[in-house]
Amino acid sequence: MSILSTKNLMKQYGTEPNIVRALDDVNISIERGEFLAIIGTSGSGKSTLLNMLGGLDRPTSGSVKIDKYNLGKLSDEDLTVFRRRHIGFIFQNYNLVPILNVYENIILPIQLDGKTPDEMFIQRILSLLGLEKKLFNMPNALSGGQQQRVAIARALAGKPSIILADEPTGNLDSKTSDEVIELLKLTSRKFDQTIVMITHNPEIAAQADRRIRIEDGRVYE
Amino acid sequence: MKAQNTSAIKTLTVRSLKKNKGRNLAAILAIILTTVMFTTLFTLAQSLGKNLTQMYLHQSGTLAHATCKSLTDAQIAAIARHPDVKSYGKSIVLGVAENKSLAGRQVELRYASDQYARDDFAFPEKGSMPEKETEIALDTLTLKRLGVTPELGASVTLEWRKDITKEKRTSDTFTLCGWWEGNLSTYASMAWVSEDYALKSCGGSDTPKDGQILGQRMMGISFEDTKDIEGKTAKVLSDCGLSSLEFDTNLAYMPETAKAVLSENLSVYAGMILVFLAGYLVIFNVFQISVASDIQFYGKLKTLGMTAKQIRKIILGQGAFLSLAGIPLGLAAGYGLGFLLVPIFIPASGAEPVVSVNPVIFAGSALFALATVMISCLLPARLAGKVSPVEALKYTDAASGTKKKNRKTKNRASIPGMAWANLWRSPKRTLLVTASLTLGLLLMTFFYAKNASFDMEKYLADLAVADFQLDDATNSYIGGYDPESQTISDALLKKISSLEGLEETGRLYSREISMPLSRQAKDNFQSFYTEEALEDFKSCDPSFPQWKDGFDAALEGADVPHTVYGAGGPILNAAVGENYILDGTIDTEKWKEGGYVLAIGPSAAPQKNLPTYSVGENVTIQGNSFTVMAVLHPLYPMTSGFRPAFDIPLILSADDFLRLWPDSNLRKYFFNVSDENMKKAEKLLTVYQSADAPGMNITSRKNIQAQYESETRSSAVIGYSISSIIALAGILNFINSMVTAIISRKKEFAVIQSVGMTKRQLKQMLTFEGLYYAGIPLVLSYLLSIPVIGILLRAMTAGGFSTFHFTVLPLVICTPVLFGFAVLIPYICFQNLDKESVTERLRAAE
Repeated sequence: MSILSTKNLMKQYGTEPNIVRALDDVNISIERGEFLAIIGTSGSGKSTLLNMLGGLDRPTSGSVKIDKYNLGKLSDEDLTVFRRRHIGFIFQNYNLVPILNVYENIILPIQLDGKTPDEMFIQRILSLLGLEKKLFNMPNALSGGQQQRVAIARALAGKPSIILADEPTGNLDSKTSDEVIELLKLTSRKFDQTIVMITHNPEIAAQADRRIRIEDGRVYE
Repeated sequence: MKAQNTSAIKTLTVRSLKKNKGRNLAAILAIILTTVMFTTLFTLAQSLGKNLTQMYLHQSGTLAHATCKSLTDAQIAAIARHPDVKSYGKSIVLGVAENKSLAGRQVELRYASDQYARDDFAFPEKGSMPEKETEIALDTLTLKRLGVTPELGASVTLEWRKDITKEKRTSDTFTLCGWWEGNLSTYASMAWVSEDYALKSCGGSDTPKDGQILGQRMMGISFEDTKDIEGKTAKVLSDCGLSSLEFDTNLAYMPETAKAVLSENLSVYAGMILVFLAGYLVIFNVFQISVASDIQFYGKLKTLGMTAKQIRKIILGQGAFLSLAGIPLGLAAGYGLGFLLVPIFIPASGAEPVVSVNPVIFAGSALFALATVMISCLLPARLAGKVSPVEALKYTDAASGTKKKNRKTKNRASIPGMAWANLWRSPKRTLLVTASLTLGLLLMTFFYAKNASFDMEKYLADLAVADFQLDDATNSYIGGYDPESQTISDALLKKISSLEGLEETGRLYSREISMPLSRQAKDNFQSFYTEEALEDFKSCDPSFPQWKDGFDAALEGADVPHTVYGAGGPILNAAVGENYILDGTIDTEKWKEGGYVLAIGPSAAPQKNLPTYSVGENVTIQGNSFTVMAVLHPLYPMTSGFRPAFDIPLILSADDFLRLWPDSNLRKYFFNVSDENMKKAEKLLTVYQSADAPGMNITSRKNIQAQYESETRSSAVIGYSISSIIALAGILNFINSMVTAIISRKKEFAVIQSVGMTKRQLKQMLTFEGLYYAGIPLVLSYLLSIPVIGILLRAMTAGGFSTFHFTVLPLVICTPVLFGFAVLIPYICFQNLDKESVTERLRAAE
């Protein structure tokens, strides 16, 4: 069963005569529990696609469907709420909030949603990611790998059905990269989550269930 | 759970506040400034209102809502029983104290109930109201003149007449049982006696005999509130079946008075709008800049699932937190300022100025200041809320606003050219700073130029003809000037004549005589006062009916009162000044010979046949014939004081006057002294006034000047402070914008430094930016001051007491200050930037 699909997805930047087609008629479908890797050169449109899938940006035409929701039909406010309930983001530069400590960063999306964090669940994530002792550290006191683990914990904490990761290992050395990927795979299996990950590292892509390649805005399986 | 939710927002609000220390300081300063101004203005508005009302009450002489001057005891009792009457006071008039030492001040001998005495501002502050037959309560002014030291049990002897048509005087000795501080601004002093003494004196009757005042009953009543006093009084009277009684409504409670208070406060309300504007401009700019530089932070939050509403909450929360710090400080400072300013603002009116400590002031100012902060935060909050998460990840402050796609010059790489281009990277902010700075500078210059154009000499010319003017105590008496009164005594004149540095002296005598008008004069009146002129007169002068009675009688040939002045010295010279001659010419030689008279006409343009005697006509005064030499415009220092509603004023030389009436006392006396002896002269006069002649009026040129200044001080101070606050707001905006413009481009500077710009060049570029930033509003202000001051103010000050000068002094003073900031700020900011190396700054991600 497809949990995430796009239909004739198109995104253009700029105006005549300098139109850039970042995405050109993209049609993909992703199954529940699948681990999908998106590969491509820089400027190929990978990040644009990921932003569209997560509802961070709106397409010029075409649609994105998650479960039974058509993202294009949601208002900005509703989209934000939808995002924090259903999607966990992991960014290359971690995007931790510098004025909040590790724990606060992790539960922020849950708190923003007006819900009480599931402490048991969060404890499980924290021990899985080896963050138990770092709870009260501020982000600037952590190494890159640790920061990315916090970002992963934050993405998982709300029990989203989909995790979107934009080069999560881009800023990490190879050993830490492997660890992070292992963790992601482990947690997604444990919590039955779908992962869409951008990477240009072929080794990491090889660990995915399926790979798609983007070139000049077009998708090749 | 809601609690968790708010706590996340709260945590973010508080922590993001802690991060922005510099921004907070600027914002708190702006909030304090705004609150200070609001509190000061509120305190002033409240106190002005209170003091004005107090002044009106003193003028009307009573706190009672309505008063009646003649009614019987039975009527008083009936009215007092009416349920609508909340309180009432009752008084019995006996007469007027006529002790020699009291000449010049009316002291009324009366019984009064406690309420009546209280209402009339004459309730004993020490001791009590009289109860025993021989007791009396007086004010300190009367005691001083009687030479009685205020202490309980002191004996006081008063002389008065039971029958005011006869000469027989009654002399009674009382014991002092109470006294209060006297007030010269009330028309008369009260001498309260006991009810027993009053009733005994009246001999049982409760209405005075014809033409008498002994036994006259007076009553003052007050209602629950001051709404529609006239209607309430009418109802009470008709309920009691006493509709024929005449009650006077206290003017101080009329809606017109409230309106007058309101219009006095208008400048304060206008000030509030300007304060709001100034506060808005600064606080808005501070928040706008802080949101712009934190936009990535908000974008990140949005990516993580924060809704626009939640982001707005954070910004507004920051505003509220900063208000929490700024407003209380501002309230305290503002109240202190208001406390200091009230006595300056309120022209001394006899009573001590009251500084209002109404809690409404604090609540109101806090509310207004908070509203200003919140409204200022609204737009920045919207901006932060609207941020698109994807854009935020790339957003830099400087990138916004540039819509230019290409630029067809090749020489923009020059340092000044780059600086100029940088200035317009955020055109909105540059315009905001330019607008607020220009507005402040222009307002300040305008107020300064307006005040500077006032010409004191022109203003004084009509009001003061000499350094000092003395008026006899009876000069303005309702009953008319008394030529027998000797306030300006020979002893005083002797002291004045021995003053060092005495320059010029002038005398003014006056008498009222009665005689019919000449044929010519009657014709003049008839031709001058056409039906139309009479209609005009009627509509603008409340005393018209009395004047018209006199006018009609004069035309029918009845005796007409003539006020004959005898004048010499500066008062005469001023009266025959060039602008004052309406008809005829002044021949000084002939005038000196005597036998000539000057007629005073109305305030009209020079013309023939003015409504008085014509030039060349002969007028017989006291059997002597005088020829009319000229018709003059009235001169205020001469004619001020009591005059009949309809009279013909004439001027004789002081010598001629003394020939007709050799035993005349001075009505007014004028003298000039050299500047260094001004103080001595003033002291001499005030000592004499307080010791011997409380009723004597002293007008000094300096006092008029001081009074004018105190009357206009409030508008001047408000004008100056509002415009300087706006200018200050502009400068704060300017500093804030410059500092952020530099700090937010940290990385960009590293980039241009890495491709070869030297530190010196970078510093130069930043200095150029600062100079442009300061220069644009300055140039605009100079340019705009030409129409605003050169044309608008020139037109506004045409006529009146102004002499226009073109001045932009405040602008000239601000020019080096602003340029100083323009050079200093980039220098200081650069010192900070320079602490990090180029590569460090290039690498810095955030």
